[in-house]
Amino acid sequence: MSAARRATQALPLPPGRQLDPWLTGATLALVTLGLIMVTSASITSADRELGAPFQYLIRQSLYLGAGGVAAAVCYLIPLRVWERGAFFLLLGAFVLLLMVLIPGVGREVNGSTRWLPMGPVNLQVSEPARLMILIFISSYVTRRSKVLAETLGGFMKPVGIVAAACVLLLAEPDFGAATVLFATCLGVLFAGGVRLRYFFSLAATALLALAALALTSPYRVRRLTAFMDPWADPYDAGFQLTQSLIAIGRGEWIGVGLGGSVQKLFYLPEAHTDFVFAVYAEELGLIGVIALVLLYGLVVWRALTVAARCIDRGHIFAGCLSFGIGSWLGAQAAINIAVNMGMLPTKGLTLPLVSFGGSSLVVCCAAIGLVLRASAECNRPPNRSRGRSS
Amino acid sequence: MSRMRFSKSMFQRRFHRRLLVVAVIFSAAFLVLLGRAVQLQLLDQEFLARQGDARHLRVAPIAAHRGMITDRHGEPLAVSTPVDSIWVNPKQLLEASDRVGELARALGRPSDRLLGLLTQNPDREFFYLTRHMPPYKAEAILDLEIPGVYTQREYRRYYPAGEVAGHVIGFTNIDDQGLEGLELAYDPWLSGQPGAKRVLRDRLGRAIENVESIRAPQAGRDLMTSLDLRIQYLAYRALKSMVQQQSARAGSVVILDVVTGEVLAMVNQPGYNPNDRRRFDVARFRNQAATDLFEPGSSFKPFIIAAALESGRYQADSFIDTSPGYIIVGAKTIEDKRNLGRVPITRVLTKSSNVGASRIALSLDAPQLWSVLDSFGFGQLTSSGFPGESAGLLNHHEHWREIGQAVLAYGYGLSVTPLQLAQAYAIFGAGGLKRPVSLIAVEEPPAAVRVISAATAASVMQMMETVVGPEGTARKAKLAGYRVAGKTGTVRKAAAGGYAENRYTAVFGGLAPASRPRLAIVVAIHEPGNGVYYGGEVAAPVFAEVAAGALRVLGVAPDETPADTADQRVIQAMSRP
Repeated sequence: MSAARRATQALPLPPGRQLDPWLTGATLALVTLGLIMVTSASITSADRELGAPFQYLIRQSLYLGAGGVAAAVCYLIPLRVWERGAFFLLLGAFVLLLMVLIPGVGREVNGSTRWLPMGPVNLQVSEPARLMILIFISSYVTRRSKVLAETLGGFMKPVGIVAAACVLLLAEPDFGAATVLFATCLGVLFAGGVRLRYFFSLAATALLALAALALTSPYRVRRLTAFMDPWADPYDAGFQLTQSLIAIGRGEWIGVGLGGSVQKLFYLPEAHTDFVFAVYAEELGLIGVIALVLLYGLVVWRALTVAARCIDRGHIFAGCLSFGIGSWLGAQAAINIAVNMGMLPTKGLTLPLVSFGGSSLVVCCAAIGLVLRASAECNRPPNRSRGRSS
Repeated sequence: MSRMRFSKSMFQRRFHRRLLVVAVIFSAAFLVLLGRAVQLQLLDQEFLARQGDARHLRVAPIAAHRGMITDRHGEPLAVSTPVDSIWVNPKQLLEASDRVGELARALGRPSDRLLGLLTQNPDREFFYLTRHMPPYKAEAILDLEIPGVYTQREYRRYYPAGEVAGHVIGFTNIDDQGLEGLELAYDPWLSGQPGAKRVLRDRLGRAIENVESIRAPQAGRDLMTSLDLRIQYLAYRALKSMVQQQSARAGSVVILDVVTGEVLAMVNQPGYNPNDRRRFDVARFRNQAATDLFEPGSSFKPFIIAAALESGRYQADSFIDTSPGYIIVGAKTIEDKRNLGRVPITRVLTKSSNVGASRIALSLDAPQLWSVLDSFGFGQLTSSGFPGESAGLLNHHEHWREIGQAVLAYGYGLSVTPLQLAQAYAIFGAGGLKRPVSLIAVEEPPAAVRVISAATAASVMQMMETVVGPEGTARKAKLAGYRVAGKTGTVRKAAAGGYAENRYTAVFGGLAPASRPRLAIVVAIHEPGNGVYYGGEVAAPVFAEVAAGALRVLGVAPDETPADTADQRVIQAMSRP
């Protein structure tokens, strides 16, 4: 009987209602926009530098295929598997974060060691590590909700683990990834019931630490001042930001038209990765920006709705994970867009599901797969298994 | 159990509350983002677009096509073809200095020299590397995609006729501005107005698209010259071969259309090829036919005869005594080669008598003589408009002394250009009417001014025909089938402190066909070096060759009777429709 039940639960398709149409639709819309914009933003520079105008389209399509596989796998694996393996995932995350720092193993690009060479592709370790740590924190909240809600130690233990990971990220250095990881995990702990006075004192401490970190590194200071007034030095420190602002400003209501961006023609660096939003805003205008923000809003809304429903059904792990993923994707998108529009200093964060980049795209797809799985699991008729066993 | 359920619902309620807080924060954050987007895309849009334009938009010049110069039948004499000039921004190129070698190879230049050139001009943003490359070569260099290397469309002037019409047409400099000849004279007409356009550039400086045309380039206008390339070529060939054969220093031929005043040909030796700018020899650029002065010598005598007939003191059949073959004027003895005795004034031309011409000139009133010569155009610029044309010199009669008036009769003490002399000869051919000469094709013969009576002109024409006759000095100017009127001149060149002993200018001025003159031709050959220097020996053969060819080219009917030589039958057959 128990074996039979296990077999039923291991069936490829999760029970209950199938794919959440809103989340699926929003995700598909975002990756499609991503393909189009990566192509448009890179076509000229790819042609010039690589001699192959569609190089980035081809690569992003392959990554998207891998992302689809990752999402399907995550959708098919019961969340219990992740929950049980959370500790090993945490270990794995630390192994990745440490490995990339070993000289000769990690690959350095533009002064940051963020990538592990893996055959034909490079893995940006912070992306899988982020999801793995998020799974661990969710499982921690599930197991220790009582301790977390009542004691400082129950709060400080996971915070310490996350902080350690952040230190490794800062060693790469990857300030943006550290910020997003810390904020997301803190958010999960917040939703998981930590006392507000603990939470706010830690949040304040973290903000102070971030500020201190930002000010200790000269290159970050330069980025910060450039961000305050990019027009003071538009040809050096403020170059990227002013070019990004110009691109967005050129968009007006309806944009200059798909493919019509001028700023992507070597004016705007990183046009197809971190600054793809600027090219998007130039080509599709305010209408396009509103649509994009609404799509991210839809993703966040669905993830939070799934989280709320899972909590109602008693699936604390699924709820925390969905909440964490929703906050992560929403926060990263908001930060990236804010950076593009000059509201935050330049970080090196991608626009999730849209920017060019294999690691980010595959991990984001996997994360969406996890939320879809959570949605499916908690849509199961609530008393079905219990009724049968009693 | 109930405690557990309670605590669970506590957790759930807290989770929901805090989830709501997070949802509100996200909503607020997304709203702020949208607000910022509105600010950037709608409110600051103008500022940002202006900043963008300041980076993207540049005003680029559009080279204007320079008008074509053609001969009277539309044969191209100067045409502009598109070429590309390679220029670099040394600043940008030096940033990619590892590619300088590649560029040097493509340009076929030593790499270290190119690098040196660049490092000497590190602060410049514009530096020509190679001007006027064929567009396909420039494109190949552009395709290397070396940073800081650009091309600029320009036009290069080609002269299909090369040396043949080089002196008249002149040439332009590398920036397409006329420097010499008609290119200079008609520069405003030929040169277009360069246009300007606003272009959108990518960050590498390449124009992506034309945003707007600020000013369309206005192509220059074509110029149809009066030259007939076929006749020009005949004259060029005949002159060149004679100059070479006689080892002469220089020479000119001018051919005028008597009916219209147009210059049909104007050639000089030594020549130069305007397409080849490497050998720059300024002295060779002068269009001597319009700019260089010489004393006309005996070729001036017909004008003295014309003045004499106009004065009324002489008739066509008047006689003049040239005995004893010399006269003494002041300190100077004027001689003939031999004593001709008392002769009709025709003989003064036929035999080129200096004594006869001087006697006649001395017998005339100086003001009257001057006035006739002046109205022939001596001492004045012609209406050719050729840059640097010389006016020549004809002293006013108040400054003449007896000796001046005497030597003037055989063409000394004044100076002319070949063009001026040809214009004056054309007046005989035009029945005494002076038409302004023109280097530009004219649609209708311009208004003429009467200089001498038709009767006088006809008399002088008849007299000049004897020069080519069996007893004349220019038997070699005779044409088969055409009657010719003309006059030789053999002039000692003026030198410091007097006249050179053995440097001569051989001149022949002539008209053909004599019965209905169409062509006025002047040939002047300077300093023949082989001991032969008479106008009748050196200049007259050139006239004959050129006139014969030109008359055939123009399809002028032969006028000599009787037509019984083989040559003439051939010519008649050719000129029949």
